Amino acid sequence: MSAVASPPVALPQTGASDGFRHAYRTELQKLTAQLTTRLLAVVTVLGPFAFAAVLKVQSGTPSDALFGAWVHASGFAISLVILGFAGSWGFPIIAGVLAGDLFSSEDRHGTWKTILTRSCTREDIFSGKLLAVGTLAIALSALLAIATLVAGIALVGAQSMVNLSGAPTSAGRIFAVTVVSWVYCLLPVLAYTSLAILFSVATRNGILGVLGPLMVALATQLLDLIGKGVIVHLLLIGSAFDGWHGLFVTHPFFGPLLISAGVCVVWIAACLTASWRILRRRDFLTTSAGPRPGWTAPIRVVAIAVAVFAVLALACNLGPNGVTGYRVSASLGPTFNNVTLLQQALIGRHAPAGARLDVLPNCNKRGSADVGPGDWNCNLYVYLPQPKSIPFQQTSVEYEVSVQYNGCWKASAPPAFLGGPTMANARGASVTNPLFIVYGCFNIL
Amino acid sequence: MEAVRTSGLVKRFDATVAVDTVDLVVPTGQVRGLLGPNGAGKTTLLRMLFGLIRPDAGRVELLGRELAALGTTALHSVGGFVEEPCFYPYLSARANLRLLARLDGDTATAAELDEALEQVDLLSRADDRVSGFSTGMRQRLGIAAALLRAPRLLLLDEPTSGLDPAGTRAVATLVQRLAADGVAILLSSHQIGELERVCGAYTVLRHGRVVWDGTATDLEREAPTSAYQLITSDDDRALELATGRPGVHVRRSTRGGLAVAAPQDSLDRLVIALGDARIAVRRLELLVSPLESMFFALTGDGGGDQLEPLALAEQVLAGAPMTAGAEA
Repeated sequence: MSAVASPPVALPQTGASDGFRHAYRTELQKLTAQLTTRLLAVVTVLGPFAFAAVLKVQSGTPSDALFGAWVHASGFAISLVILGFAGSWGFPIIAGVLAGDLFSSEDRHGTWKTILTRSCTREDIFSGKLLAVGTLAIALSALLAIATLVAGIALVGAQSMVNLSGAPTSAGRIFAVTVVSWVYCLLPVLAYTSLAILFSVATRNGILGVLGPLMVALATQLLDLIGKGVIVHLLLIGSAFDGWHGLFVTHPFFGPLLISAGVCVVWIAACLTASWRILRRRDFLTTSAGPRPGWTAPIRVVAIAVAVFAVLALACNLGPNGVTGYRVSASLGPTFNNVTLLQQALIGRHAPAGARLDVLPNCNKRGSADVGPGDWNCNLYVYLPQPKSIPFQQTSVEYEVSVQYNGCWKASAPPAFLGGPTMANARGASVTNPLFIVYGCFNIL
Repeated sequence: MEAVRTSGLVKRFDATVAVDTVDLVVPTGQVRGLLGPNGAGKTTLLRMLFGLIRPDAGRVELLGRELAALGTTALHSVGGFVEEPCFYPYLSARANLRLLARLDGDTATAAELDEALEQVDLLSRADDRVSGFSTGMRQRLGIAAALLRAPRLLLLDEPTSGLDPAGTRAVATLVQRLAADGVAILLSSHQIGELERVCGAYTVLRHGRVVWDGTATDLEREAPTSAYQLITSDDDRALELATGRPGVHVRRSTRGGLAVAAPQDSLDRLVIALGDARIAVRRLELLVSPLESMFFALTGDGGGDQLEPLALAEQVLAGAPMTAGAEA
């Protein structure tokens, strides 16, 4: 090291608001410099194209997902299927990778003392980190949304599609509602991000911070399979990703969306408040990089998580029943009416405007009382229109209906009765058979 | 103006009092050495000055500004580091400095960053990731990071740890130059020789309490007798001549020559007497400085008892460590 001849570089003083701005830009620089963030961005952009390309070269469909049967018919279905997957796994992964190590990495690198001894307060650093990770979470979610739409439209097309009431909907409306759905999902994304931040601050363990949101998402998936009440489900962050379903029916319902939006705001506020209280009161004592993460904290967290999960599982029956036989029947009947008319139109049998079938659905849950999510069996007594024959011929259709806790369902019929997944339209082209798999959603509130 | 003023500073960890009612003043332009054995509270004190930990009692003023609430006061114009400097391993040295400069206000140009790196001889490694840096290189990068913000107060904890002799000397030169420019420096180190080279005042901690505080002149006056190694043309006659002289303690050293403990004026008279007796002084080396004597007197097991300087001199000659010890 040479002796110094010149004076040190002079830097100006910064004010309180400047400190936050500088911390924000610094954290943004750090996050974007990390390999995991860059990999996440690459997967976010390329993943939808890979997914759409794979679907393009095969005839199968991810029919268990809402709109999954329509991925060969409309590019918007691809975006919505990915939105469904992202709500279950993709967004928790994004939140965990971005935010789960945001604070604990400073402990691992021993850099708390490096950044806290500059011209920024703890509040500046905390706020800067929050805003930086929030910016990236929103940016990656937006990238994912754009990539799914571009991939779907480029590889499949921007065709119109049936909504969750079985009614044909214009491409423009589907596009608009799809965009709104992605935008709405930013709220639960930020809630998961806040949760990851809390894990990171509280445990000082990057592994727990990154995996925490994923584990919460897994627990949410498991809880969604049990219980008949709506209260616990509505309070979970993961359930908030279902809020957009109500926008895709002919007569949209907003109750679950508004409640889950409020729930997300509460989660965000609670997680960030707790994180700030922990960080504000913390004494930074550890030497340099500190010890490697041990197993004590993870074991403690797992034990607490198991206990919380057990309590939530027991509480899943609290509140009114969201899924009832009446609601399933009331949703399936009109939807079946719509898709039947659509199928007839596709094969050239156009019903008069406003025509309705006489559909009498009768839905029962297999092996248990007629409430709650699970496998249902529905018989629909319906008059099928026959060419040049009045009145219509009466027949019955049996559907196996898989109903989720959130009121969304998938009905599938035996191929021998209503045809296969595709059919020939009036011009002889192969199109999706709207009666083979039917999707719908009803309001559980 | 006082760069640092603490009054009644206390920090407890459970039943342990790490810092106990510490009053400390560092005026502008002063280089003050902070000494103490392991666990004396040096690092805890520095961490409190940096706002990294909360005092249980007392107050801290840096550059006339009170650190009223932890985390709500930004450390403007205060540079330095506590324990070894840490950086983001996945970033280069330059990127780390740019990032820290951004936290300070983001007006450092690329040339200014390069200048800081040049000052610590890291310009050639500026684009290497810090993960590949040695301890010494990280230490030098820490110094560059501290200088980057034009500090008026530097708090340095073992700044030469891991540096080679040339690097250590350069840090000393840098500290002296900054002090000449009016920068106040609080320097914690277990290298007593390093402190003696640059410090104009000292604060000695023991069990979290200040056991001595004063200027280098005070220390010279109050310190126990220094110890020397004396090698002459006739050590037997020199021992005979020195024995019994007022203020002089002497004995044969196990490593050759004589170990002599004496105040400066008594030592002068001894050297003149040796010359008069036609005994040539071939080597007269300071083994235990006033600061070392004082340090061991204050922080030894006797808790302030006068240690026997000749025993310390023997330790030096035997190669035993004579340092204050790094704090855990």
